[in-house]
Amino acid sequence: MTRSLLAMIMLTAVTVPSFAHHSETAEFNPDTPVKITGTIVRVEWLNPHVWFYVDVKDDKSNVTTWGFEGAPPGNLMRRGITKDVLKIGSVVNVTGVRARDGSNNASSRSVTFADGRNVFTSATEPAK
Amino acid sequence: MKHSWLRSSMFAAAVALAAVATVRAADPPRMPDGKPDFSGIYTQPATVNATGPRGNLIFNADKMAPLKPGAESLLYEARNGDPRHDEPRAMCLPAGFPDGMLYILPIQIVQNAKTIVIIPELQRAARIIPTDGRPHREGLEPTYYGDSVGRWEGDTLVIDSVNFKRWILDDYHYTDPTKTRWHSDALHTTERLKRDGDKLLYQITIDDPKIFTKPFSQDFVLTLRTDWEQLGLLEYVCEENNRCAGGHCRAPDAK
Repeated sequence: MTRSLLAMIMLTAVTVPSFAHHSETAEFNPDTPVKITGTIVRVEWLNPHVWFYVDVKDDKSNVTTWGFEGAPPGNLMRRGITKDVLKIGSVVNVTGVRARDGSNNASSRSVTFADGRNVFTSATEPAK
Repeated sequence: MKHSWLRSSMFAAAVALAAVATVRAADPPRMPDGKPDFSGIYTQPATVNATGPRGNLIFNADKMAPLKPGAESLLYEARNGDPRHDEPRAMCLPAGFPDGMLYILPIQIVQNAKTIVIIPELQRAARIIPTDGRPHREGLEPTYYGDSVGRWEGDTLVIDSVNFKRWILDDYHYTDPTKTRWHSDALHTTERLKRDGDKLLYQITIDDPKIFTKPFSQDFVLTLRTDWEQLGLLEYVCEENNRCAGGHCRAPDAK
């Protein structure tokens, strides 16, 4: 089993709120945190939210695509996070909370790259 | 003795210069007509002395005026499962005012001698506010953003808005999974804006006589961000990629 490429639904709490143009809790369930590792395959740098897609392989090489919502593009750009940060082909570990409809979509919290770099892709970062 | 006099004089001059510098620092930049210049891009408003969850971007319930008897159901409506009711903005419906002013994206103010334009990046819904002394327009249907006119009281811009349709008051629903918070069609708001250095002091007074026994005010502060000028406000077309509208997500389609 390739654990690093295994999609895991984590039972740990994710408490950082994401202030989207909608209520977080109406569309995503904070009680179903998601933590996956995979490869970025597509980025939509669009309003009202950035979306990026991550292909995750299981131990039988089946690929599941996860979609992650991020903050509005303007919010990220003013924090220095541009489209170039989410490079297609990058292997990333992404945390978030899963869509209430059970689809493989989630509201992202943070993205950690193979070299350890980490960016918060939700609309708010921990208070400074 | 002579040196002592000189030192005293120099100290007095330094104090005087410091006082002048302080006055100048507080004096806002001005338009050719002498009015304060509010032009620029600002951070989102943040409540001064916020209380409660997400208290910096919603009205603080503990600071509101008392409700009129029976008005609780006008202020708070239970979610009914229809996202157009429960979270209109999540369906890309208008934020309206004041809700559209209180969000995490920046606000740009554009100004000339006759008009102030306030443009939240959220939905890019510009409020075009005449400051030439004209009265409110009459005969219009109620609207999401109301009808606004501005006037100067010294260095304070006062914006008076009426003619609202009943709509969500703020993003209270982010904090409560059961209820939404609304204003009535009798809403009358008064905004007071004043520059203090790179800060914009911003007060909203809510006068909604169908709901509250008296008006109440909440103070916010916005910060001028000259470093955001080059990027400017960005486009915001909500319908472009609203993938989880109403809680029904489109399947991930990375192809």
